[in-house]
Amino acid sequence: MISITGLGAISAAGRNIAETLDSFSLNRRTAGPVTLFDTPLKYPVFEVKGIPDKYNLEGQRTLSLALCAIDAALKDAALDDLSSYRVGVCLGTTVASQLNDLEFYKSYRTTGSAPMTSVDRYLKGNLAEFISHRIKAKGPALTVVNACSSGTDAIGVALSWLNNGLCDIAVAGGADELNRVPLCGFGSLGIVSMDPCAPFDRDRKGLNLGEGAGVVVLETKESAGKRGIISDLFLAGYGSSSDAYHLTAPHPEGTGLKASIEKSLSDAGIQPHDVSFINAHGTATHDNDLVEGNVLANIFGTGLKMLSTKGFTGHTLGAAGGLEAVFTTAGLREGWIPASTGFENKDDAIPLIPVREKTNIAGRYAVSTSLAFGGNNAAIVIGRM
Amino acid sequence: MNILGIGIVFSRGRGIDCFEKALQEGWRAPSEVEIKGKKSFAYQVDPQTISDKTLLKKMRRADKLSRMAVLAAADALNNSGIEITNKKIGIITSTAFGAHVTTFDFLNDILDHGEANVSPTTFSNSVHNAAASYVSSALDIEGPTLTVTQFFFSFHSALQLAQVWLDEKRCDYILVGAVEQYGDVLGYIYDSKLKQASDGRIRPFNFTPAYHVPGEGAVFFLVSKEDPENAYCKVEDIKIRHSREGGNPALRQAQGDNIVQADLNIIDTDGMLSDESVYMSTVSPHIPTAAYSPLFGSMMIGSAFNCTAGALMLKKQFYYANPVMDNPRGIHLINNARCANIELIRCIRYSCHSEKAAIYLRKNH
Repeated sequence: MISITGLGAISAAGRNIAETLDSFSLNRRTAGPVTLFDTPLKYPVFEVKGIPDKYNLEGQRTLSLALCAIDAALKDAALDDLSSYRVGVCLGTTVASQLNDLEFYKSYRTTGSAPMTSVDRYLKGNLAEFISHRIKAKGPALTVVNACSSGTDAIGVALSWLNNGLCDIAVAGGADELNRVPLCGFGSLGIVSMDPCAPFDRDRKGLNLGEGAGVVVLETKESAGKRGIISDLFLAGYGSSSDAYHLTAPHPEGTGLKASIEKSLSDAGIQPHDVSFINAHGTATHDNDLVEGNVLANIFGTGLKMLSTKGFTGHTLGAAGGLEAVFTTAGLREGWIPASTGFENKDDAIPLIPVREKTNIAGRYAVSTSLAFGGNNAAIVIGRM
Repeated sequence: MNILGIGIVFSRGRGIDCFEKALQEGWRAPSEVEIKGKKSFAYQVDPQTISDKTLLKKMRRADKLSRMAVLAAADALNNSGIEITNKKIGIITSTAFGAHVTTFDFLNDILDHGEANVSPTTFSNSVHNAAASYVSSALDIEGPTLTVTQFFFSFHSALQLAQVWLDEKRCDYILVGAVEQYGDVLGYIYDSKLKQASDGRIRPFNFTPAYHVPGEGAVFFLVSKEDPENAYCKVEDIKIRHSREGGNPALRQAQGDNIVQADLNIIDTDGMLSDESVYMSTVSPHIPTAAYSPLFGSMMIGSAFNCTAGALMLKKQFYYANPVMDNPRGIHLINNARCANIELIRCIRYSCHSEKAAIYLRKNH
């Protein structure tokens, strides 16, 4: 049994869990124009406003977001000093893995030389390595770069580490900043909406990009017990599968997603009817929501309580799986989930209707799903005793 | 777990036979490259090597990084002789710099055409997991497919995770590998940070100063719990010891950081650290030492290539001579190729923080 003993999150929905739950409860969302860099692109985005100063690292926004979420998660887990524990760090990202500094490259291209400042930041900024050094963790460290399922996959890897004795505690999730390269890239694919996103809605026009970090502290029952920590929340299962189909489009039948959900349920030893709600990937692109909605209906039935939280956060890419794991866990803990904001009209091609308002939930299990570029699919099952 | 098949793409060709030939023939000068008017060297993969028209037919738009990965992964499967239909197969790809060449192509797009007029194809190929995705679709593998990145130990971490996935029966087989591409920007960064060998010859036993020559390529292993007769060797253990573990004996014991008497130490010296004298602490007068980086070049994922040499030596029970034997410190080296009884090989890598990783390869019985 792998307990969840700490949660930390920062996104446009809030700089901590309390602010996030307020936003969820009030159905408040804050999409606006890009202010972090100059761009002619007018897509609305979900930026994080006011990262606390103590976490700000110049030119390393992804790391700043990660530090903020991790600090909160470790405090939530009552972990001040990690020196006595084997702590693994497994984090997903997309932006922090790439050397894509435009000014550096422009200088190199034009003059044949460029200052090494951004290169140094990049070389010192591998997400998991950096965090592991920063928090003085004494266990495995790994950065997962599986595009939009990175955060969920990172949590799955940490689960495997813990179940196989590589560490006793793991800090897992994802972090990503809003960055020019994915903004241009997703724009070029024609899947970014000029309006605030509307996951699963009949009239959805695409995703909005966001940024943030979401982290869970996972711990073996023995480790938590030794520390005197009692948590009734646990990570019950993980499944991952590839579509083996296309670089950017999901398999029309959602074969990989179906397989990953089924694997996560079998890992958890539960049946679909045991699941009280799903925090879906729900990007608000036409293809993702169509495929995902149908797969979920097929496995769980049309009466499933389901939502996408991307209406509050935008699509935070490598952070999405981490944030949504935190939101799913918080939903189980609090006993309610927010409205799937942005949804108004049922799409007849999707047999499911996301929850339209703040909804009480009573069950013991919930699932969070992620679909990614490259045809990666991942699902985790979170439980409450 | 056991290594059942190996696929490799490097500057001297494609396939394990090609790599064995390079081990037998020894060092050859790398190709000359020019970085912004300055002459330099790099171990580059010839486009002809990755011009396969069957496997890559459906991936005409894939970049060099993805092509090298797909061919190495496919060759690892073929080399194993395993029929994969209806088997649970996973893919774990490791890289340090990923699709940086394509990322810079995308930045060219932004600079040349503006942010609203960039190529979606270039963008989707610049995503770090594109190579693994192509492996999955080219080989029709629907199991877990993961890409991981670190600068020094990404291959070790990938191999460690493969072991865990096999232990928990998440997969029956795993294609675990490493891939890296050379590009002029990376060459410029290396030249700015490290000393390049002016004659193109990496001297792995010089230690300080250490000279690099950038390389590129891909290695994939098919690993499994199965132990067929044609397996290369067993991966007995993967240890990664972080500097933060310091002198805490309990933690070190927990990590299993004990000294093992191997028959051969293969060290990852290739000039990717400006001072590699930390490796002196691992060499022994009683155990021969080898380093094969002069055959494939300097790479953060060089361990995968050195492990390939180790796996071949265990399978063939044969020592391949060091390709470059400049030996100012009088280390006990393998000076000539010869048959040998080899039970255990230790492949060692250090990071710039003096963190150490070791992969232990043992002869199959």
